[in-house]
Amino acid sequence: MTDSILEVTDLSVEFATYGGRVKAVRGVSFDVKAGETLAIVGESGCGKSVTVQSLMGIIPMPPGEITGGVAKLNGKDILGLTSKEANEFRGVKIGMIFQDPMTSLNPTMTIGDQIAETLMVHRGMGKKDAFDRAIELLEKTKISEASKRAKQYPFEFSGGMLQRAMIAQSLACNPSLLIADEPTTALDVTIQAQILELMSELQRTENMSIILITHDLAVVARMADRVAVMYAGQIVESGTVDEIFYESAHPYTLGLRAAMPSNKTTREKKLTPILGSPPDLFHPPTGCGYFARCPYAMKSCEKMLPPECLLTAESNHQSRCWLQHPDAPRVQELFQPARTQEEAPDAG
Amino acid sequence: MTDSTLLKTQLQAVSNLDFSPSDTVQSAEQISRPSLSYWQDAWIRLKKNTRAIVSLYIVIGLALFTLVGPILWQVDPALQDLNQLSQAPSLPKQAIFVEEHTRWEGIVLENFPAEPEAFLDVLPAPTNLRTAEAATTQAVRIVWDPVVGAGGYAVYRNQHLPESINDLGLPLGTKLAGNEVSYEDRLNIEGRDYYYSIVSTDGYDESDSYITLKVTPDLAITKTEALSRGLITEESIVANGETIDLEFHPFGTDYLGRDMLARLMEGARVSLFIGIVAPFLYVMFGIFYGGFAGYFGGNLDAILMRFADFVVALPFLLFMILFKIAFGIGPGESGVLPMLIALVLLGWPATARLVRGQVLQIRTQGYIEAARLLGAKDHYLIIRHIIPNTMGVILVTLTFAVPAAIFTEAFLSFIGMGVAPPTPSWGSMCNEGVKTMLSHPHELFFPALFISTTVLAFNLLGDGLTEALDSRMRSRE
Amino acid sequence: MLVKTENLKKHFQIGRGQNLHAVDGLSIEIAENEILGLVGESGSGKSTFGKTLIGLHPATSGKAYYKGEELPQRFTAADHLKYSRELQMIFQDPYSSLNPRMTVLDIVGEGISIQGQHTQSQVKELVAEWLIKVGLNADHMSRYPHEFSGGQRQRIGIARAMIIEPRFVVCDEPISALDVSVQAQVINLLDELKSSMGLTMLFIAHDLSMVRYVSDRMAVMYLGTLVEMGPSDQVFFEPQHPYTKLLIESNPEPDPRLERERGFVPIQGEITSPVNVGAGCRFADRCPSMSEQCQRETPPITQIASDHVVSCHLFS
Repeated sequence: MTDSILEVTDLSVEFATYGGRVKAVRGVSFDVKAGETLAIVGESGCGKSVTVQSLMGIIPMPPGEITGGVAKLNGKDILGLTSKEANEFRGVKIGMIFQDPMTSLNPTMTIGDQIAETLMVHRGMGKKDAFDRAIELLEKTKISEASKRAKQYPFEFSGGMLQRAMIAQSLACNPSLLIADEPTTALDVTIQAQILELMSELQRTENMSIILITHDLAVVARMADRVAVMYAGQIVESGTVDEIFYESAHPYTLGLRAAMPSNKTTREKKLTPILGSPPDLFHPPTGCGYFARCPYAMKSCEKMLPPECLLTAESNHQSRCWLQHPDAPRVQELFQPARTQEEAPDAG
Repeated sequence: MTDSTLLKTQLQAVSNLDFSPSDTVQSAEQISRPSLSYWQDAWIRLKKNTRAIVSLYIVIGLALFTLVGPILWQVDPALQDLNQLSQAPSLPKQAIFVEEHTRWEGIVLENFPAEPEAFLDVLPAPTNLRTAEAATTQAVRIVWDPVVGAGGYAVYRNQHLPESINDLGLPLGTKLAGNEVSYEDRLNIEGRDYYYSIVSTDGYDESDSYITLKVTPDLAITKTEALSRGLITEESIVANGETIDLEFHPFGTDYLGRDMLARLMEGARVSLFIGIVAPFLYVMFGIFYGGFAGYFGGNLDAILMRFADFVVALPFLLFMILFKIAFGIGPGESGVLPMLIALVLLGWPATARLVRGQVLQIRTQGYIEAARLLGAKDHYLIIRHIIPNTMGVILVTLTFAVPAAIFTEAFLSFIGMGVAPPTPSWGSMCNEGVKTMLSHPHELFFPALFISTTVLAFNLLGDGLTEALDSRMRSRE
Repeated sequence: MLVKTENLKKHFQIGRGQNLHAVDGLSIEIAENEILGLVGESGSGKSTFGKTLIGLHPATSGKAYYKGEELPQRFTAADHLKYSRELQMIFQDPYSSLNPRMTVLDIVGEGISIQGQHTQSQVKELVAEWLIKVGLNADHMSRYPHEFSGGQRQRIGIARAMIIEPRFVVCDEPISALDVSVQAQVINLLDELKSSMGLTMLFIAHDLSMVRYVSDRMAVMYLGTLVEMGPSDQVFFEPQHPYTKLLIESNPEPDPRLERERGFVPIQGEITSPVNVGAGCRFADRCPSMSEQCQRETPPITQIASDHVVSCHLFS
């Protein structure tokens, strides 16, 4: 069993806004092992971006506040660091790439200079060496004519190339973990395929772990080893990618899958939407966050928050759902290992 | 199997679970919060901004000051109160009634020589300098004891205690006989401290020693004066020595004795008239111009905007002067109209640009295309869709245009290119106040305070409005 | 055929001598009660085509037909009014397609108010009816757009387009800005309305799986031209044109086993600029089967099956 590079336990983050306090992340725990890709899946507002941004320490702390939890990178605590200490690991041991490369890169600096800057600040390299290394990194991310491109400005690049440049920058200090926050959401599908392929390849050659944030289950299916499904600030299910897709153990996971067309869905089988909207995080529900939209909701679900139940020990498949209770009713298509005599539910 | 046992033990610890189904989804589409229109939301935001609300109150206060003030404080701003020239702000002063002035004969001693009998080396100062009777602003009569060897006396008056023989102050006059030991001062006496000094002379030189008396005359007024100023009526019976309240000048008076408060109110009218009417006019024009250019786009837009650029390049001050000449207004005449016209003619491009930008942006929004598809005509689109969405920008522009115009007017009047006396405006009041800045600072302080407060209040209000209106209702979840 | 275009072109002048060939000669046909899906990546011109077809952009050249009648090249307001009961559109961005200063009642009722054939109270009734039809509450009509979520706003936009009972609706990326679970809501609604109202639709999107699910036939665009068109399942499962193949293969499936078995290596290279495009196949510089002819000559549209056309030299 490889060791975990990152261990997050019970992370909670709140924001003070003039409408009240938003409890954006409510007790999130997960690990990432070396060389593994963890996908965090959820819809807008579920807290997935806030989770990773607070790990990186890039949430402005006056409105934001980490109200609980521990995060350890290679055994060292990374929350509650001073900004000097945080600078040493941010960008160095953990790299991050963002959704919109156009706004994430400085439009007034050349691409080469921006990558070189990382090296000069963190590795103390001289300007010329850093720039040469920047060109190497651009080549690694398959940007053609890298030496010419390094002298260009972001506006001269297309979306896909900018994303490659951003990946190159994040690799500059050989991080052991790369956090990718919706890296391909703004890209065309053919470019997305290229970028995802690039990320997989880099993961192999650099032996990096990746946390991939996305709302697209298809991207998860392509890239992830493990998946954590988030809803209303909590992880409702986590496990290997096969378990999530073929042995879904939470109604929200089922709901997400049923709302997407796959190549097997013909027009006779309708897409099943999830009705309603996510709960108000100013006053989050005391019970299960998914209660108001769950087609299998039970009376207890409203006020009692289900604990994270371990379903399969060796793969750490967990689910937060009262339907996992041995006495709970049978739900078609839901993986309920506590109910002994039933046969395995339909996979996918 | 071990897994499910684990699970069972984990969960079975929780008892009292009710597994019956629950209806949840029907409330999914409810919106619980009350509906807020754009303006209501903006108002709520504005109220939370303390600075903006305070500024709003100041602006409202100013409006009341200008419009209602003259009704409550009915003092003619042109009326001169000669008793109280350059009066600092104070509580109402009182004056004593006196008879009309009659010439004072003075005191001439009989048994004292008019010419000195012998010339002394050192001529002492007179002694026992005192006032002959109560000193009033009508006249101050002083009397002293004669000096042996004096052939005359020189009388000086200063506003502070003299420090040396060279600091005696204003020479009021000289008595040319040793036995004339009195003097009546009638020169611009105010109700303040004076220091009279007497120096003996022997007819040729003045001595080096002097005596000083501090006198604070009381304010005096004659019956005829009081009558003419409406302080008493025909029938009132007043005796000399009785006091009467003079006109109250809560903010003091200026160098001509005019009531500052009344002038400030009148000045407010002029300043605010220009400061509000001019921006209103040029913002209106700018809206049409910019809206037109933005909506139709293309070459028309290009031409219109180039013309606007040209107007921006014109020098404002030069045009002011040109207009003044063109309108045939000489120096000394009030220049309100040319200033208004110059402001309007030269101030519109900024608004036009802003509105044009806003219109260009709105044109790309989906709802414009949707409305076109539904068969909307151009004027419907403009009135129903585009203008309501530019209202925010327009309002903010207006709120910032007003203080700019007020300040411009004040500045021009200050340098003499704007409103001319006797029409008061805050700027010209500042101009007059600068002359007496060191001795009577209140004449400069009040108009300057009013200008600064007004401009600041409008600017802060504009800031608050921008914030309140601009955080548009784009709540993305 | 309800809708037909013949070599429709839309070019934009962006500066001196720079001609952006957004739509460069598209000829399609849409039968009554059919949904034609139009896919393509950014820069393919699919949205521009949709807007040009219903008159929001004046066409540069080519013709468009509705019910056999030729549509004007440049629509005046009167033309729009005339065709408003026939041609409508559902817009992409739910945040900018509703006027933030108007109530839902005003927005949804705008179409029928402009027609002027109903009284105020009739308009109100109709609006209430349609709000319920799209899954909202009737009392939502006094509220403002900012109070609604993205999915709800999109449904308001649908109500606005449908209330005047058009025959042909262009759906311009109606679900791209929405969350996954909400997308299904909107798709189902569109499907329902299509059946109950007998609509014909042009469904423009970049999500291939969704387009395949929704449409009867599918057309693929690249840099302003049509590369392939045929029945959705055929185009999706048996793509003929190299670009279609690339698209389908790049499209991830929410099925981990399938993804592992795929082993697809994506082609490098990106879409070129649609400015001042010359002759030759537009996909030539990225095509694995590129030949010298491809660079010289624009490929013609070839019919390879009864309802399936491709624009590629491999088939001509």
